[in-house]
Amino acid sequence: MLNIKGLEENGYHVLILQGEVDASNSVLLDESIQKLIADGNKAILIDGQGLEYISSAGLGVFMSYLEDFQEKNIDFRIFGLSEKVFEVFKILGLNQLMAIFPDKQTALSD
Amino acid sequence: MIKLPQFNFGKLSLLLAILVWLALLFVDLVRLFGILNEIDSGIAIEFTWILEILFFLMVYVFYSYSISKNSKNEFLNLIWRAASTGLFAVAVSLFIFLFYGSLGESRLAQEPFLRNLFYHINFALTSIFLISSALLWKHLILYQKSKRVVKQWQAYEFAMLGAMFFIFFNQNTFDYSFLFGLVLLVGLGLVLSGNLKWIPYLTFKEKWKSLLFLFIILISCGFLFIQIQGYTNKLIYPVNLTDNLFLISLFAFIFSYALFSFLVTLFNLPTSSVFEQKLTEAISFQRLSQSIKADENEEQVLDILMDSCMSASYADGAWLEMEREDQSVDFQFERFIDSKTREELSALINTSKSLVGKPNENLAKNINIQEIRIDHPRFESALLVPLSINKIPIGRIIMIKEVKDGFNNEMINIVSTFVSQACISVENHRLLNQAILNERYQEELKIAQRVQKALLPTKLDHNDSFDISAYSNAADEVGGDYYDTFKLDEDRYVLIIGDVSGKGTSAAFHMAQMKGIFQSLIQLNLSPTDFLIKANSALSKCLVRNHFITVSIFLINTERKTFCHARAGHVPSLHFSSSASKSDYLGIEGLGLGILRNKLYENHVEEKTFTYRAGDILVLFTDGVIEAKNHQGKQFGFERLRSLLEVYNEHNSKEIQTSLIDSLHHFVGGDGKIDDDYSMMVVKFN
Repeated sequence: MLNIKGLEENGYHVLILQGEVDASNSVLLDESIQKLIADGNKAILIDGQGLEYISSAGLGVFMSYLEDFQEKNIDFRIFGLSEKVFEVFKILGLNQLMAIFPDKQTALSD
Repeated sequence: MIKLPQFNFGKLSLLLAILVWLALLFVDLVRLFGILNEIDSGIAIEFTWILEILFFLMVYVFYSYSISKNSKNEFLNLIWRAASTGLFAVAVSLFIFLFYGSLGESRLAQEPFLRNLFYHINFALTSIFLISSALLWKHLILYQKSKRVVKQWQAYEFAMLGAMFFIFFNQNTFDYSFLFGLVLLVGLGLVLSGNLKWIPYLTFKEKWKSLLFLFIILISCGFLFIQIQGYTNKLIYPVNLTDNLFLISLFAFIFSYALFSFLVTLFNLPTSSVFEQKLTEAISFQRLSQSIKADENEEQVLDILMDSCMSASYADGAWLEMEREDQSVDFQFERFIDSKTREELSALINTSKSLVGKPNENLAKNINIQEIRIDHPRFESALLVPLSINKIPIGRIIMIKEVKDGFNNEMINIVSTFVSQACISVENHRLLNQAILNERYQEELKIAQRVQKALLPTKLDHNDSFDISAYSNAADEVGGDYYDTFKLDEDRYVLIIGDVSGKGTSAAFHMAQMKGIFQSLIQLNLSPTDFLIKANSALSKCLVRNHFITVSIFLINTERKTFCHARAGHVPSLHFSSSASKSDYLGIEGLGLGILRNKLYENHVEEKTFTYRAGDILVLFTDGVIEAKNHQGKQFGFERLRSLLEVYNEHNSKEIQTSLIDSLHHFVGGDGKIDDDYSMMVVKFN
C-alpha cells in the first residue's frame, strides 16, 4: 500500500509518501513526480517519514529522474527516511547522488 | 452348454397357433360329421373350448414377441400394422362372401363342411386382428406410462384372461352374468382408451395418415363384428366360437380406442402446428445449450441462435451486429435480406424515435429487448435483441417483419430465453479460448524458465584452494538474479553476483544482458573497477530508463591468498575471518550499474583488496535473502545472517549454503513465500 499526498510548503512542493513502494505501485510515485516536473516545479521535497519499505523498482523511479533534475535545475530533496529505508538508498549508492536529509528542518535550512 | 433358442419363441408360438387351429378345425368337423350322421362323436364341447383358448394364447404370445422385437416401432407403423391386419381379415371374409354369392343356390353352397371351414378361417383371422390390435394399442396406451396406467393395463389383461375361461361357467349362453362381465370389460376398455398421449407427437402429415388408418380399423372392426354376429343363429355351425365374452369385449376395446384416437387426432389437427413449433423450440434450446463442444465455435453458436430466433418469431428477415474489439460493428448472418436493404433498415432503426436510449450508441447500452415500428416500404416492424455477457453488450440481433407489431410477448419471451442461453455458450467459448491462450503463455514461460536456468552456471570454476557452492530461486517463473564465475588462469578466479531491479520477465531479460556483458568484458582481464566502469557504460545503452543492476565482483588470487572486491550498489557481502572467528560485512562504497549513465560513474567506484586465510568464508547474496519477511512482517535481516555464518563456519561451502537457505526458509515459515528472487554463493577457502 502506498499513499501519496501533495502540498505546498515554504516554496517547496512536498510529496508525502506513506506505506511501501514496490513493483506494483511504483507507477503511482512515477506519475506524481512526472506531474510535478511537467508543471514546472523547481523545488521538490519528498517526505519519507511514513515510508516503511522501498523496493528496487521504487528506487528505479528516483533514479530515472536524476538526469531530469540536473538538466532542469530542479532542487530535489528527500527527508525523514527511516534507518532501514535509508540503508537501501545507501547500499545502492543513491545517497551519493541525491540530497537526503534526516529531517524536515535540516532539509529546509540547507 | 445348451444355448436356448430364444429367437424361436415367436416362430414356435406361430407354429403352435396353426397346429391348434387345425386341431380345432378337425375336432369341430368330426363333431359336425357325427351330428350329420347322428352318431355320437364322443368329443365333449369343452375340448373345443380348450383348443380355442389355446389358440388365443398362442396368437397372443406370437404377437407379444413380434411387436416387442420391433420395439422401435413408430406410432404410425403400429397403427398401420393393425389397419393392414384388419384389411386382410375383411378382404378374406369379403372373398368368402363373394364366393358364396357366385355359387348361388348350388349344392356346394349348402355344403356344411366347407361352410364350417370358412367359419373357422373367419374366426381365426378376426381373432388375430383383435388380439394383435389389442397388443398394438397396449404400446400406444403405455407411451409415457405412469404406474397407474400400467396397473390398469395389467388388470385389463387379467380380466381378459378370465374372460377366455368364462365360457366354462356360462356355457355360452347370453345371461346376466355374461352381461355383467361384458359391462365390466367394456368399462375397463373405455378407461384405458383415455390414454392418448402419443397423439400430440405426430406431425401434421402423420396425423392425416393416422386418421386414415384409424378409419380403416374402425370400418374393419365394424364389418367383422356384424359378420360374426351373422353366424350366431345358423344351425349348421355345431359350436359357436365367436359369441365369446373375450372376443366381444375385445371388439369393444379395439373399436373404442380406435374411435377415441380418431376423434382426438381429428381435433388435434388445428393445434398441431403450435405443438410442432414448441417442439422445435425445445430442440433449438437443447442445441444451443449443447453447443459448447470442442468442434463448435462462437460463430456456430450464433448461427444456431439466428435460426432458432427466426423460427421462434416467424421473422421475415434478420441480421446480427457484433461489437468488435475496436468498438466498430460487424454485420453478420444476413438472413433473407440483402446488404443494401440491411443498410437502409439500420439507418431507419438508429434514427427511430421509439428507440429507447441514445441513437448514437449503436449497440444500445440498455439490455432489454425492444420492438419498434419502422417506416420502410417492405418491412414494418423490427425487434432489437441485445446480446450481452455479464451485462456488457456484445452485439444484437435485429429481426424484421413485413407486418406491423409482428412480435408478440410469447415470441419475445422465447427469443430472450434463446439469447440468454446462447450468450452463456458464447461466454463459455470465450473463456475456453482465454484458458487455452493462458495455457500457451504458461508454456512459453516454462521455456523462458528453462532458458534462464541455463544462463546460471552448472559448474562453478575453482581450484583446490577454495570450494564454492551456489543457490538461486526466482519468485516468479523467471527472475532477475544472476551469479557466475570465470577462470582467468590457474590461480585467478572471478566471481560475480548481481540483481536486476524489479522481478519477473523484464528482470530476466536484463539478467541475460548482464551475463553477456560479464562473459565478454571479463576476458579482457580487467580489474574489478575497470570492469564495473565498462559494464556501466555498456548497460547504459541497454537498460530501460528506470532499471538498474547491482553487482558484487570478486577477483580471487589463490597464489597470493587475496581477493579484490568492488561493489556496484549491491548488498554488502559477508566475510568470515577464521583468525578472529567473527563474520562481518565488507564495507565498501559503490553505485548501482545504470544509475549514472555518464563518465561521472567512475567517481563512484571503489575497489579494495583483502587477504584471506584458510577457513575464511565469503557469502555473496542478493537482497531477497535479507528482505525476506516472516508472518510477523519481520525481515530476515543482515544481523541474523551474520551470526548464522559464525554458527556454521566449520562446515564446507555446500553445507553452509544449505544451512543458511534452510534457516531462511524456516524463518519465513513453512508455507511462507518469499516475494523476491533470492540467490546465494558461498566460498570457503582452504
